[in-house]
Amino acid sequence: MKLAPVDYIILALYFAFVLGIGWRLRKRIASSGDFLMSGRSVPVWITSLAFIAANLGAVELIGMAASGAKYGIMTAHFYWLGAIPAMLFMGIFMMPFYYGSKARSVPEYLKLRFDEKTRAFNAFSFAIMTIFSSGISMYALGLLLELVLGWNFTMSVLASAAIVLAYTFLGGLTSAIYNEVLQFFLIVLGFAPLAIMSVAKAGGWHGIMARLPANYTHAWQYMGSPTQNPMGVEIFGMVFGLGFVLSFGYWCTNFLVVQRAMAAESMSAARRTPLIGTIPKMFLPFVVILPGIAAITLTKMPGMHYVLPQNAAGGPDYTQALTTLMAQFYPAGILGLGMTGLMASFMSGMAGNVTAFNTVFTYDIYQSYIRPGADDHHYLTVGRWTTVVGVLLSILAAYVATRYNNIMDLLQLVFGVVNAPLFATFLLGMFWKRTSAHGAFTGLTLGTGAAVTMLATTVAEGKGGWITNLYQFPSQMAQNFWIAIIAFTTCLVITVAVSLVTEPRSDKDMEGLVYGLTHIPHDATEKWYQRPAPLTAMVVVLLVILNIWFR
Amino acid sequence: MDLRVPSGWFFTIVGLILVGYGLFEPGLQAPLTNANVNLYSGIGMLVFGVFLLLLAWRASRSHA
Repeated sequence: MKLAPVDYIILALYFAFVLGIGWRLRKRIASSGDFLMSGRSVPVWITSLAFIAANLGAVELIGMAASGAKYGIMTAHFYWLGAIPAMLFMGIFMMPFYYGSKARSVPEYLKLRFDEKTRAFNAFSFAIMTIFSSGISMYALGLLLELVLGWNFTMSVLASAAIVLAYTFLGGLTSAIYNEVLQFFLIVLGFAPLAIMSVAKAGGWHGIMARLPANYTHAWQYMGSPTQNPMGVEIFGMVFGLGFVLSFGYWCTNFLVVQRAMAAESMSAARRTPLIGTIPKMFLPFVVILPGIAAITLTKMPGMHYVLPQNAAGGPDYTQALTTLMAQFYPAGILGLGMTGLMASFMSGMAGNVTAFNTVFTYDIYQSYIRPGADDHHYLTVGRWTTVVGVLLSILAAYVATRYNNIMDLLQLVFGVVNAPLFATFLLGMFWKRTSAHGAFTGLTLGTGAAVTMLATTVAEGKGGWITNLYQFPSQMAQNFWIAIIAFTTCLVITVAVSLVTEPRSDKDMEGLVYGLTHIPHDATEKWYQRPAPLTAMVVVLLVILNIWFR
Repeated sequence: MDLRVPSGWFFTIVGLILVGYGLFEPGLQAPLTNANVNLYSGIGMLVFGVFLLLLAWRASRSHA
């Protein structure tokens, strides 16, 4: 694939706008709160779109198309069964505690609700995770651009990192959030034509259903046993593992997304952020998953001469589904826009990681353990320079990934399940005031330990089991879901058990932090469509219709 | 800053570029399609961009 001058013009135009937004927003920064928390003043439609855009990185975009090609429409469960119920739960039940507690980050909430050790555990593990995630995503992008366009790996990694650094350094979280919205529009508008054309070429949804095995085009009907469907999972692992533990763990406790809602201008806006976000989120599978399903259909139509390239193991390389489709359907011009969309997704993912890292490092590590009690200007300076350090560390992580591929594989496996036990900690911490600080810490560390131990002792698709192989899962998905279930349950049971034999905190210390001791706003004064309940009801109806449609 | 302004301008300009390209190079096609993709997507972007600008203009007028 080769880009024409017009493609480069569009790419350059995008870079100019992204940097321009950062430049215009630089004047808004007067305190560390402005830089790291947007001064809690961002309009709700912007936080809602940023909430879902921060999760829509290049790895996710490429991965969703790849999963669509590999597993079919069951991939949509990541959205319809996983993300959306979790986002609704977050907006209705959890946001009052996050926003109302005045905590500046997820680790800080843990400090307020429990104690220092749980915060430290979460802050350090989260900081490490964001750096490696953005490094892995940088690596994936550099590799892809090298493969597809022949661009130099080092050049494209450094250039895209420099742009992200420039606009987050200038405008902080606000700049990252504003750009995420532009990036979201670009991703949707840049890939929607691809989805429309590839599905049309594959004969529409009916043509796809006629050409693919039935278990690729039905999301629910073939989940009776792992052998019936391409994903290798059964309904319990799917509903409890993905639908409950993994998705709630990610969307309700990952500071990367929670931070976007916390930047909203009021409690009501913060609660509505994930709720409004569910509406575009619900329809994203049509843009990001459908092209993958269309791609696998096209490979079965001889007249099309479309094949997926082979990977090192000799099988089809699903990760190239998206870019090969672009080569087949996009002429110069729109091709530039598609490539810009891919770059945009990478940047929004990376900026999300960097801004979250920033806040957690500055408030939860630097201000807490390195230099407490300095004036705010000092922390603003630290926040700014942490941006630089964060980006440099991500670049380093990207190079570690090129050298030690297996380590990165392994880290991604760990990151996939690390939020699962944390969700149990939050669930108990927010809704059961008896939960004690020692209980939370013991449960969280042992739950995380259980997840890592299980990864080390079970194998799926040749991965994991680096200590021994006690159990073989039918697929990586099944392994992921089941480890999440076990880690969550371990954390839940141990936290409850230890809490029952240790001292609870006094009610006075937990005001605004836990259910029963917190004023939950009623929003009766808002317009009906701004209230959580009607909004949620509408989303649930749409969600049920989608699930029945693609059953 | 109203984010609708820069986003609106971005998509208006990209839309104009694509529409122009689609009109002057109508024969430009990728292997699997014979539609004038640039023209149609360009129109879509242009409409979206102008729509955002209109919203921003209305908002700034009601504030003034």
